[in-house]
Amino acid sequence: MKKILAIVLALMMLLSAVPALGDVASIVEEGANLTHEELVEKALAETGDFLVYGNTSRIQNAFDAFKALYNLTGEASNLKDGPIYTKLDSEVNSSAKGADMVMIQDGAQLIGAIESGWLVNYVPASVAEFVAEGDRVPLVHQYINKLFIYNNGGDNVPAIKNVWELTAPEMKGNVIFKNPEDEQVNMNFLVMCTSPEWSDKLAEAYKAWKGEEIDLGDYENAGYKWVAEFLDNCSFGQSDTKIAEEVSQETAQGKIGLFVLSKLRSSSVLTDNLTVAQYDATENGYAVEPFSGFMYPMYALISAAATRPYTAMLFIEYLMTAEGFEPWGKSIGAYSTSTAIAPNDGDLGIEIWKDTLVMEDAEFILDNYEDVSTFVSKHLQ
Amino acid sequence: MEKTVKRSSGRTLGRVRAWFSQPANIILLIFFVSLVFLTLYPLLTMLSQTALVHSGREATAVRKLGLKVGDYTTYHFQKLLFTLDDGGKAGIVQSNSYIQFYSPLINTLVVSVASSFIAILFGGIVAFLVTRTDIKYKKFISAVFVFPYIMPSWTLALFWQTFFKNVNIGLGTSNGIMASVFGVYVPEWFVYGWFPIALVLGLHYAPFAYIFIGGILRNMDANLEEAATLLKTGRMKIIRRITLPIVRPAMLSTLLLVFASSMSAYSVPVFLGNPVRYYVLSTKLKSLMDTYPGQGYIISAVMILFGVAILLLNQKVTNSRKQFTTVTGKSGQISLIKLRGANRPVALLLVVILLLVAVVPLITFAMESLIIKAGDYSPSNMTLDFWIGRDLNYLDQGDDTGILFSHKVWKALGYSLGLAVTCSLIAGTSGILVGYGIAKKRGTRLSNFVNSLAFFPYLMPSLAFGAIYLAVATRVPWLRGFVLLALAGSVKYLPFASRSGVNAMLQLSGEIEEAAMITGVPWWKRMARVIFPIQKSSFLSGYLLPLVSCMRELSLFVLLVPTSDTILTTMLMQYSEKGWAQFGNAINLLIIIVVLLINFIVNKLTGASIDKGVGG
Repeated sequence: MKKILAIVLALMMLLSAVPALGDVASIVEEGANLTHEELVEKALAETGDFLVYGNTSRIQNAFDAFKALYNLTGEASNLKDGPIYTKLDSEVNSSAKGADMVMIQDGAQLIGAIESGWLVNYVPASVAEFVAEGDRVPLVHQYINKLFIYNNGGDNVPAIKNVWELTAPEMKGNVIFKNPEDEQVNMNFLVMCTSPEWSDKLAEAYKAWKGEEIDLGDYENAGYKWVAEFLDNCSFGQSDTKIAEEVSQETAQGKIGLFVLSKLRSSSVLTDNLTVAQYDATENGYAVEPFSGFMYPMYALISAAATRPYTAMLFIEYLMTAEGFEPWGKSIGAYSTSTAIAPNDGDLGIEIWKDTLVMEDAEFILDNYEDVSTFVSKHLQ
Repeated sequence: MEKTVKRSSGRTLGRVRAWFSQPANIILLIFFVSLVFLTLYPLLTMLSQTALVHSGREATAVRKLGLKVGDYTTYHFQKLLFTLDDGGKAGIVQSNSYIQFYSPLINTLVVSVASSFIAILFGGIVAFLVTRTDIKYKKFISAVFVFPYIMPSWTLALFWQTFFKNVNIGLGTSNGIMASVFGVYVPEWFVYGWFPIALVLGLHYAPFAYIFIGGILRNMDANLEEAATLLKTGRMKIIRRITLPIVRPAMLSTLLLVFASSMSAYSVPVFLGNPVRYYVLSTKLKSLMDTYPGQGYIISAVMILFGVAILLLNQKVTNSRKQFTTVTGKSGQISLIKLRGANRPVALLLVVILLLVAVVPLITFAMESLIIKAGDYSPSNMTLDFWIGRDLNYLDQGDDTGILFSHKVWKALGYSLGLAVTCSLIAGTSGILVGYGIAKKRGTRLSNFVNSLAFFPYLMPSLAFGAIYLAVATRVPWLRGFVLLALAGSVKYLPFASRSGVNAMLQLSGEIEEAAMITGVPWWKRMARVIFPIQKSSFLSGYLLPLVSCMRELSLFVLLVPTSDTILTTMLMQYSEKGWAQFGNAINLLIIIVVLLINFIVNKLTGASIDKGVGG
């Protein structure tokens, strides 16, 4: 028995041996100023399959077009952030072939991945001038917005002009949101609401709504109070598409959802029954105080375990062009960070959204996530 | 002195030789070594994760303690299990530990216990009716009863919600079929919360009870009951004193399987619990794995602890039994109980229930795969495009072609089938061998070890099991793609096959094999010509259960697949998450049709089926 155990332990130790990482970071750094032609030459000199993970289904279309353009072989995989980070964790610690490049959300988690050396940032020289400095490190490929969208049927249309209206007793059960514990960007939004900037704005909005100063009670600031009362009134849907479908039903009068604008493109949603709060505000010259939803980035980075780093760089360059952005840009709700790419017809521009929506601050989220998420979980009961 | 040493070493050598001359010992030794690697090593890896600082939010949370990524800490335990006073006014019920752990734990236990009893009661009664009575429509009942198990469990949950929802409950946005067609508005507790979760899981796992209990009832020696009948014993007393004790091991196995399965069920509580804020451990585990994996792994460990406790309880009960044998060399014809006047009403009631839980959902999925706008069932809103369409850009639902013209769907189907068949062959064959070894050496330490190790994977939540195998794979370069999936699947489904193998072998009297041994028949021939044919139906269920489970497995493979298009279930999950319900429903139906087809082909070729043709 002892011998068997000794053999088992020895084999376990053997299996625990981890191979060393390749230095993708230095390749990317050295190649930062390569021209497009030089990049193509180096990318085509690389061998093996080119693998990509992305938290967006449309990565498949962009990847197929890119593959055809350069006659490459490989796969794009549409995964959620959780599995992507789990896979990255294992891939950068082994010699096995994994992703070369990722498109990923949840900036707070991304900071950890960059600090751990799993991901390498790359800003293509050819597009750098079109991307705002704040969107370069880490490189934001696009922004996606989640907006207050309501059912416009019946006599009780929740056409809100102030987010505190969502906390009123009559709105109990009428606000539909995806559970923030199941959707990190939703949790990140709630964390941002407690930041000094947004809690001040929420305090002002409360005064505008009630005509009196906010009474915080036991709450740390106005952001915490709004988050608590908002969640207490929420019903939780399974996915943003499902929420869009449900809020758009004839029988859903009086309901309002906070979900991704791009879901309105889906053929299964009765879009005529829906009104986007910010569209109505812009059209009729008023503002939803202090925000009409939130916006979060989708990042494009290179894996530290990439075996085709130049191809990954070339793909990122491609994604930042109008041709590469086409799978997302063909409908509303996705906004390229490249100023060379205009927003979709019928949609508002990214600058308007940046002014009217809560934007993510990854550092603030990371520093305050534990406190706020613990607070949030108490209001999910 | 020298002679004594020689004699002693000679005796030892002889003992070793004798030990190795028994095939059961060799089998147990091989499986002991393999299973230590395939179950204990992953378990240790997982346990080490409960104290490890992971990157991201977890690293930030412990930074104030001077800890960094890769360090070991007790922080996760303190935060999850012992933060019972946050200083708030509401006390324990508003503490982090209560919300994140104790409340979901209580809910999990309620749901798991309730679903286990529902499964045993429903599956057991139907198994009894089919095997021991002259009930009508046996073939139909037997074939349809396994449908809920073939379907991914969340589809039944989704159906429940779609069928019973109304504007007064849950999201309160739309009416389901009951409300819109029949005007019946059921209360919230009927659609959301512990009751529907337990019911759906109970119905989903009732085929376990049906298969295991039905198998025993069908194979048991009728002499016992007939002797009691001759002695004028009452029917109820016969059931209480003879039938129930005989099926008790199968009932305990079912209880064990259903409890462990219900504990780690994720999708059903998400659909039927989350809308009313009813959380269980698995839903907390999933959300914590994305943020604080250390705490997520602690929940996994707790789930495993519960499983181990049940396993030990089961072993204690089964070991105290004196006799398992139900199949002996003597054959007996079972006399069926005559239901007389109650026959047709009972049969019809059963058929209606089965139609509701097994056939109506399929019709609903078929309908849902045809409509364009949600909730509108008018013919003008229907299309076959999601099945056979081309150039479907107008739908903006992800794919450009219907699933039957989609290259990636066919590719995924081929991969899923290959994977399911491989896992089933490995797990099924291992199950027979493990069953043989355990039964032959029952009571020995090695046999108990292998018995526990072979069941162990079942106690590990699929999601955590997948994550652990992924971690193991990073250290073994060849463990990739199909090999990784097949290995994880085979080990995860070994418990089905080993339970089935052990149950079958324990029923088999030793005298049957002994008769063959006396005439000098070699071991492999005894297995192939004597043992396998007698318990063919039980053994084949050991192949079919992994095959079916693998075809509809999601949580286990979601982290291990190279891409989400690799197998049908991960593709289905992707479609569901994106809200492409029509494509998702079509793929779901495709999975069910394929499994039914496999069941049908196996049935035609071997005479066995997943329901083992119990009475049918």
